[in-house]
Amino acid sequence: MHDLDDQQWRELLQRLRRFALWLTREPGGADDLVQATVERALSRRGQQRNAESLRPWLFTILYRLFLDGKRRERLHARWLAWFGRGQAEEPAGGEIESIVLAQADLRAFARLSAEQRALLLLVSVEGLSYKEAADALGIPIGTVMSRLSRARAALRELTEGNPTPPALRRLK
Amino acid sequence: MTRLIPTEHELHAYVDERLEPARRAEVEAWLAANPEEAARIEAWRGDARRLRAALAGFGEQPSDPALDLAPLRRRLRQRRQWRLAQAAVLLLAVGLGGLGGWQAREATLFAGMLPMADAVEAHRLFADASTLDIQASDPARLQAWLGRHFNRVGQLPDLSGYGLQPVGARLLSNEAGPAALLVFQDRQGLRISLFLRSPGEHFERMPSGQRTDGQLQARYWSHGDYNFALVSAVDDARGEQVRRALGVSL
Repeated sequence: MHDLDDQQWRELLQRLRRFALWLTREPGGADDLVQATVERALSRRGQQRNAESLRPWLFTILYRLFLDGKRRERLHARWLAWFGRGQAEEPAGGEIESIVLAQADLRAFARLSAEQRALLLLVSVEGLSYKEAADALGIPIGTVMSRLSRARAALRELTEGNPTPPALRRLK
Repeated sequence: MTRLIPTEHELHAYVDERLEPARRAEVEAWLAANPEEAARIEAWRGDARRLRAALAGFGEQPSDPALDLAPLRRRLRQRRQWRLAQAAVLLLAVGLGGLGGWQAREATLFAGMLPMADAVEAHRLFADASTLDIQASDPARLQAWLGRHFNRVGQLPDLSGYGLQPVGARLLSNEAGPAALLVFQDRQGLRISLFLRSPGEHFERMPSGQRTDGQLQARYWSHGDYNFALVSAVDDARGEQVRRALGVSL
């Protein structure tokens, strides 16, 4: 982080937050995720990084933390179910919801799975290479390719063949 | 000619501009001859473009001071110092630990070592740092913490009579077990530390005494199961009284 200036750092944080928001779909959770990512990055400074490889590395950390959180949540939900409490519905935060409602292009995107969203964000929006995306998501490059193929097909179908009804349901 | 027909993966790589220039040209030519495929690819490209446009500026927020670069850099520096300090403590521990079978050599080594050098070092490294494990201005809390880690330690005296309030403590260790640095501070911010450690075999019979080390004065003694040292500034007149107060109650 030493070779970045304030402007570059802010932009990087914003990208991380955007990624986190689309993973969690919940601003509070996204901010926590970004915070935890930066913490983790600080504590792993042993691996010196230049500005170029810093970005994919931070995405990698963030995605791992997101998965860890998910795992804990699932475990938690299973425990709750065990004790007879219903599974809480995945909340969709106000920020994401209102933005998605306002922008037709994001509606279809919001309906993809978290995995597909993550991949399209990294490849199409953040411009990571397939190798970097594979590392970040912890999957082989072949899986990146086939998942990309499915994600693009799904996005196409959602955008085109399946116009969203005007009265929108709460996004799951 | 089959090489000319791009695979599905290559088509994606084409959209993402990840193809080698030569292959890219071939794919381009193939798409020109296959308008249906070209339309499909163009739709992907359009989706990606719209996604990028829709997400530009997404996630912007007023900057979070905790994530500003300057404080982060400061914390990075602190962390580095902290690691160095840990390394120093480790080195010290290894140094003090010595190696089995080198008794004679050890004896000469330890004879040349200054008493409670680790206490002085710990004070230098940690007393002013924000790297204390616990922050405790409440003496009872500090006592409870101390009791958790050192089960045969006596009562911490109330040092408020000397104008000293607890700041916090840091747990350390040497080869014989836990060690700790307890930090106190007066109204002017001047800090005094109490260091204690398990003696291990080398320090069992450490005599009481005091010595000056740079700007610091170390007063040390042993009592019960532990070696103690009070480290203060050389010119701190309270040193001797505090040392006596500690000696009585600990």
